[in-house]
Amino acid sequence: MNIIIAGAGAVGSHLAKMLSSENHDITVIENDRDRLRNVGSAFDILSLEGNASSIGILKEAKIKKADIFIAVTQSESVNVASAILAKELGAAKTIARIDNQEYLFPANREMFQKKGIDYMIYPEMIAAKEIVGLLSHAGMSDVVDFSGGRLHLYAFRLDEKAPIINKTLIEISDPDDVLEYRAVAITRKEKTIIPRGNDKFLEGDMVYVITNKGGVNNLLRYTGKENIEVRNIMVMGGSRIGVRTAQDLGDQHYVKLIEIDREKSYRISNHLDNALVINGDGTNVDLLNQEGLSKMDAFIAVTGNSETNILSCLLARKMGVKKTIAEVENMDYISLSENIGIDTIINKKLIAAGRIFRFTMSSEVAIIKCLTGTEAEVMEFVAKQDSPITKSSLRDMDFPKDAIIGGVVRGNSSFIANGDTMIKPNDRVVVFSLPGSVGSVGKFFN
Amino acid sequence: MLNTRMIVNILGFLLVIEGLFMFLSIPVTLIYGESDFTVFLISGGITILIGGISWFFTRDAQKNLYRREGYIIVTLGWLLFSLFGTLPFIISGSIPSFTNAFFETMSGFTTTGASILDDIESLSHGILFWRSITQWIGGMGMIVLSLAILPLLGIGGMQLFIAEVPGVTYDKLHPRIRGTAARLWLIYIIFTVSEIILLWIAGMDVFDAVCHSFTTMATGGYSTKQASIAYWDSPFIQYIIIVFMIVAGTNFTLSYFALHFRFDKVYNNEEFRYYIGFIFVFTLIIGLGLFMSLDLNPEEAFRISLFQVVSIITTTGFITSDYLSWISVLGVFIFFLMFFGGSAGSTGGGVKIMRVVLLIKNSALELKRLIHPNAVIPVRFNHQLLDSQITTNVLAFISFYLIIIVISMLGMSALGYDLDTSLGAVTTCIGNIGPGFGEVGPAFNFNHVPDIGKWFLSFLMMVGRLEIFTVLVLFSPNFWKK
Repeated sequence: MNIIIAGAGAVGSHLAKMLSSENHDITVIENDRDRLRNVGSAFDILSLEGNASSIGILKEAKIKKADIFIAVTQSESVNVASAILAKELGAAKTIARIDNQEYLFPANREMFQKKGIDYMIYPEMIAAKEIVGLLSHAGMSDVVDFSGGRLHLYAFRLDEKAPIINKTLIEISDPDDVLEYRAVAITRKEKTIIPRGNDKFLEGDMVYVITNKGGVNNLLRYTGKENIEVRNIMVMGGSRIGVRTAQDLGDQHYVKLIEIDREKSYRISNHLDNALVINGDGTNVDLLNQEGLSKMDAFIAVTGNSETNILSCLLARKMGVKKTIAEVENMDYISLSENIGIDTIINKKLIAAGRIFRFTMSSEVAIIKCLTGTEAEVMEFVAKQDSPITKSSLRDMDFPKDAIIGGVVRGNSSFIANGDTMIKPNDRVVVFSLPGSVGSVGKFFN
Repeated sequence: MLNTRMIVNILGFLLVIEGLFMFLSIPVTLIYGESDFTVFLISGGITILIGGISWFFTRDAQKNLYRREGYIIVTLGWLLFSLFGTLPFIISGSIPSFTNAFFETMSGFTTTGASILDDIESLSHGILFWRSITQWIGGMGMIVLSLAILPLLGIGGMQLFIAEVPGVTYDKLHPRIRGTAARLWLIYIIFTVSEIILLWIAGMDVFDAVCHSFTTMATGGYSTKQASIAYWDSPFIQYIIIVFMIVAGTNFTLSYFALHFRFDKVYNNEEFRYYIGFIFVFTLIIGLGLFMSLDLNPEEAFRISLFQVVSIITTTGFITSDYLSWISVLGVFIFFLMFFGGSAGSTGGGVKIMRVVLLIKNSALELKRLIHPNAVIPVRFNHQLLDSQITTNVLAFISFYLIIIVISMLGMSALGYDLDTSLGAVTTCIGNIGPGFGEVGPAFNFNHVPDIGKWFLSFLMMVGRLEIFTVLVLFSPNFWKK
């Protein structure tokens, strides 16, 4: 597939890396020479220096032959303008990153669609939604819902209390039981494996499990974690993510938002009436104690600075906060910060990349999510009529070794897949895949 | 931590390719009814066997390659290629001495064209064919070839490409490195085949046409005749070879655009204009000198001058007239030309036109900078501002180039050679040209150089072909620091 990415910022370069390893032809347009050199020398892509909203540059990037044009520069107006131009010049599909919620209202979205922007993505808003979702499963590190909540992927870290430590997958499965969950992946020391029957769980593992609705409570029993009721929340940083999160949580929770900039905190408090805005330095321990940090159930650090977020989460953890969430934009810090005890990492790049990645798949993909803490992706496919996946039982199929089918949603029911499962057309299938196999997995559903 | 297994894996694969190329000589020996087809069967067999084993037992290696691995693979790759490339020469007995065979093969792969052979015509067709093939592979580069056919290298491929095709800037013809490599080889093959056909029409027999096309497009300079191109006293053949030498010395990216009828890109390319300009000016000067000093008609003077200028500036090294027999000032001009080299991204060696032009431009601007100490005066090339990083890189390249020449020249004179010979031998080897001056001039060869000198010159050829940094970086302590 021919893909043009405008902007080699954090999201753009992550997309370039991901898509080029999936054998797509990538052209990256960027006007900052240093950034361009960084992506150009690190990944197998064609780099083009210039402004993405210039017609000449778009033509030079062979926009006519582009299957997807992705505008993810820093500037919203460049993204919108270049996406419209790209469509006009012949790109098949266009995606633009925005930072204005207004654009996403259905009527406005339609207007943009008419103008040529097929999909708009607002990473900060999605991040806020994810944070809110996570707080209702505070024991888990990550939660992804599929098919409107009929299947879930949970990620959790095994601490020394977990009863399943040092047991194999076979030992913990109950042969008479109807399968309610399935461990699809284990991340251990920054490597992700797809566990087979004889693999053991070890302390410190990050385990990814697919469950159907009924399986959640059993799962908690195995992990040794209890479901924490979250009432008091402290949000550090009045960034877009912070404000949106506070807004969404404010009605059911008691939320305190800390912002260092005085002007900004006034502005925030002006339109945030269901949360308490505090003007102060979030790294100041006295201030945090005064505001009752130790009584908090959750601490969410979403300042623009990854280091500050990580350190303040560690501090909160030391003070006894049970759930900590940090926004970490530096990819290299992600696994590090998970290992030192931060429960959940939020990363805008991965969020945006996952949403955009979906468009590059030839098969029908309802959801694709890039997980933090592992390079793997989890996807929900819709099995097409006569696609290879429907031809035989999973056991007899030559399915890629680096991928595993977790669960299936058929009509209103959902179940966990095993070797005997036969996929039927129109089933929604949840697949966990290591990078590099996503393309070949997709072929099974096409 | 170096990814040793992956390095072995790729080197193994490269050897398998080399072995397959050796097999190409088998049909040639059969056509000419020569008995040495077993030579190529054995050489190719050994090479494929060793390569195949290394490749097979490391096939589960981690695929990630970084810059350091890239430099090691490329340097070792060229060494191994030359090492195994000696097999046909040694097994057939045509070059019994290992040192000589290595010199000849390295000179082939690096497209230098300096030879130790006294009597080229006495060799069998198979061996002559293998000799030309080494240049043809070396011209575009075996890494580029393997990138075109090897699917596995994504990001790692970039590192290899940068190490083998260093250039000043990188032009990709296609978003994927594999697509770029495949297009480069395709253009290379198209040009080679066209030249074969034209030379054949002009009266060469098929075998000579193929061999000379291989060595022209590679800007190599190996001939199947002792007298080189002068053997064919045909203006038509000489003009054909001139045209293809010019093409081979042009950036292949431009050829790609030309083949797609985007001539504006070619015409507006600053390096190409300078390249053609240099050829024009030097041809005029030398042609005029020849016309006045020798008894030649104007066309002959022009043709001899053009042929020799193009042959030297593109670092091919074909000879139609011994420039040492001209009046000495013209010979000095030829020596001067040896420093230019082809365009960046061509198969030519030397310093490369782009670096020469950048050096001149930057030095001229330095005067302006002295007068306006606070002014921002960047170097422009192709209507674009150049990063000061690129200028620094070019300056470092040229400094290294000259330093290596001076030190090596001292070494050569320690072996008992005079100034002409030492300087000529060193310049021609690092520039991958072929003929030198003095006792290694066009009328002589390198056979009389002592063994140690041959090894050293072989090393210089590799340093020159890989544009200095790729090899020299391995000698930097920083490279090996953990």
